[in-house]
Amino acid sequence: MNSALIISIITTVLIGMIPRAMPIFAAAIGETVDQAAGTLNLGVEGIMLMGAIIGFVVDYYTHNLVLAFLTAGFIGIAFSAIHGIVSITMKLDQVVSGTALWFIGWGLSGVIYASIFGISSIPPTVLTLKPVYISYLSSIPFFGKFIFGEDPLVYILIVLLIVVQYFLFHTKQGLNLRTVGNDPRVAEVMGVNPILYRYAALLFGGFMAGIAGAYLTLAIVGSFYFDMTAGMGFIAVALVYFGKWNPWRVFAGTLIFGAVYVLYFMMESIYPVIPYEFYQMLPYLVTLVMILIIGAKARAPAALTLPYIKEG
Amino acid sequence: MNIIKSIQIILFIVLGLLVSSFTFLFFKVPPGSGLSTLLYQGFGTIGGIAGTLQMTIPLLIIGVALTVPFTAKFWNIGAQGQFILGEIFATWIGLELVRTLPPFLDMLVAAVFGFIGGAIWAMPPTIMKLYQGANEVITTLMMNFVAVYLLLWLVSGPMEGAQAKLVNAPASAPIPTNYMLPTIPGTTISSGIIIAVIIAIFFYWFLRYTNFGYELKLIGQGENVALYSGVRIKRNVILSMIISGGISGIAGMIMVYGITQTLIPQFFSDVSTSFGYVGIAVAMIASLNPIAVIFASIFLAGILNGAYVMEAIYSVPIDVVISIYGIVMIFSLIGVMIDFEKLFRRRKIK
Repeated sequence: MNSALIISIITTVLIGMIPRAMPIFAAAIGETVDQAAGTLNLGVEGIMLMGAIIGFVVDYYTHNLVLAFLTAGFIGIAFSAIHGIVSITMKLDQVVSGTALWFIGWGLSGVIYASIFGISSIPPTVLTLKPVYISYLSSIPFFGKFIFGEDPLVYILIVLLIVVQYFLFHTKQGLNLRTVGNDPRVAEVMGVNPILYRYAALLFGGFMAGIAGAYLTLAIVGSFYFDMTAGMGFIAVALVYFGKWNPWRVFAGTLIFGAVYVLYFMMESIYPVIPYEFYQMLPYLVTLVMILIIGAKARAPAALTLPYIKEG
Repeated sequence: MNIIKSIQIILFIVLGLLVSSFTFLFFKVPPGSGLSTLLYQGFGTIGGIAGTLQMTIPLLIIGVALTVPFTAKFWNIGAQGQFILGEIFATWIGLELVRTLPPFLDMLVAAVFGFIGGAIWAMPPTIMKLYQGANEVITTLMMNFVAVYLLLWLVSGPMEGAQAKLVNAPASAPIPTNYMLPTIPGTTISSGIIIAVIIAIFFYWFLRYTNFGYELKLIGQGENVALYSGVRIKRNVILSMIISGGISGIAGMIMVYGITQTLIPQFFSDVSTSFGYVGIAVAMIASLNPIAVIFASIFLAGILNGAYVMEAIYSVPIDVVISIYGIVMIFSLIGVMIDFEKLFRRRKIK
């Protein structure tokens, strides 16, 4: 490989990785807060699919992107509320409830799509989000374009990353939330309502997962197809482990994924000798390797997946 | 499990089914008539029942396979991948040996290889969980995606059959018809269903009356409970996953040798081949009782079979079944776990 090719690969990866990383990041940042409070939501995949279809349908009919994203977020809230009722209020198994939620979202998103657009029609498309060039900064050579030339949601999500990081580790409420995730009884003694915190975190996670799904249809693909997330929701959950429940590390993990997604599209054309199925395995293999590397050192919130049962 | 509890669970499953029937409203089909059409097509006609029982075979075996690690609260979501590897191993060895062995021995060897294939695929997530603490839901699921692409590569590359190459539809060479599992005389149903029921009965005994089954239950009650009772957690979990993956692999072998005859690609967006995922719903709805798995798998297979007809009549996509499964799963979870008697008793004391 000559150096020009290498440079062009690097630029393409850098330009493509941020938007590719964003749907996973949006879901992962919500899941981080959710898990920090002690609830594992495995339904992220299903919620993303629901957000993807609802966001798409709303945008298709109203051409109002803000409305589309918000509706997608609210469908996420509604779905995670089911998870909350079953796993927080009724204190039933979070894994079973999350899996069921994944199934519902998986099936229902396909049902909604088919009921509106038919089963075998050519998928309709919508215009995707346009990049916003921050006027001076984007004209910086080389870096300007891909750091300051992203679509508006990227900026919002990066601001959100800073806010969540600050909230979790530098505010009283953030401390309360992490205490709820580590030991809800201690939280109760501190005068914090664990149930309330868990619900708030869970609904935030659901909202973000809905947004993540809508981002996929409205900013990247431009149309919806069956089971289009293809495991991204689960990769988001895996990245929360990789990031050790720290938003910055989660963000770094999602960037690696963005790069993997772009790389495999490129490598496919550079090395067509390797069958393309192996390239498609890549995101999942990378997830496994990332979990393998980080697994032993990760310390989960102590009360993760444990329901809070009040004593006495 | 007493009778009242069983009735409670069944009531909740029916309730879940009723709630899920509202999804038919998306197609302007009244929920009542949608649900009755679905059930009638699955269970009401001779052809429907035959098709349902055929689909029951993989669901039943996978459902049983999943009860084993689920009892220890080890959430093996990877049955789909283990099933696919079982198919791959069984088909590969079966086609290699087909000329040298008589049919019965060929099938036996294929079943053993199916078991090995599934068990191998179940190992990395198990080891990562036990030695690294990696969440098994994620890792087993990732293994599924890898398996899907591995299969796709094999049937469109190294294992592609000559016939498939001609019509350009990826598949392996077919298993010779006289090497297939026989059908039950007088029906079109594969005798795999009998093997499936035997497996279910065996595991009912296995989980209930052996030390191993008891120890898995202890592990399921929490790590501390198991540690204090001197249960060797790692050994038991690894064994349960070898069994689970292996039996899922046997389901794959029976799928090829009993139903499809060739190795065909499976896409994760295609609900109709996602037996590994539906198997999760089967095991959950049966509340991890292998005998109940028999009925749960027939029930879910009937819904799946009925949904095919619904797709033709009302153009309701087959995906509708997976949301029905999800809703029924949540309701059955509530039905299994909530102790209404206790709730009422508490109220009275207060």
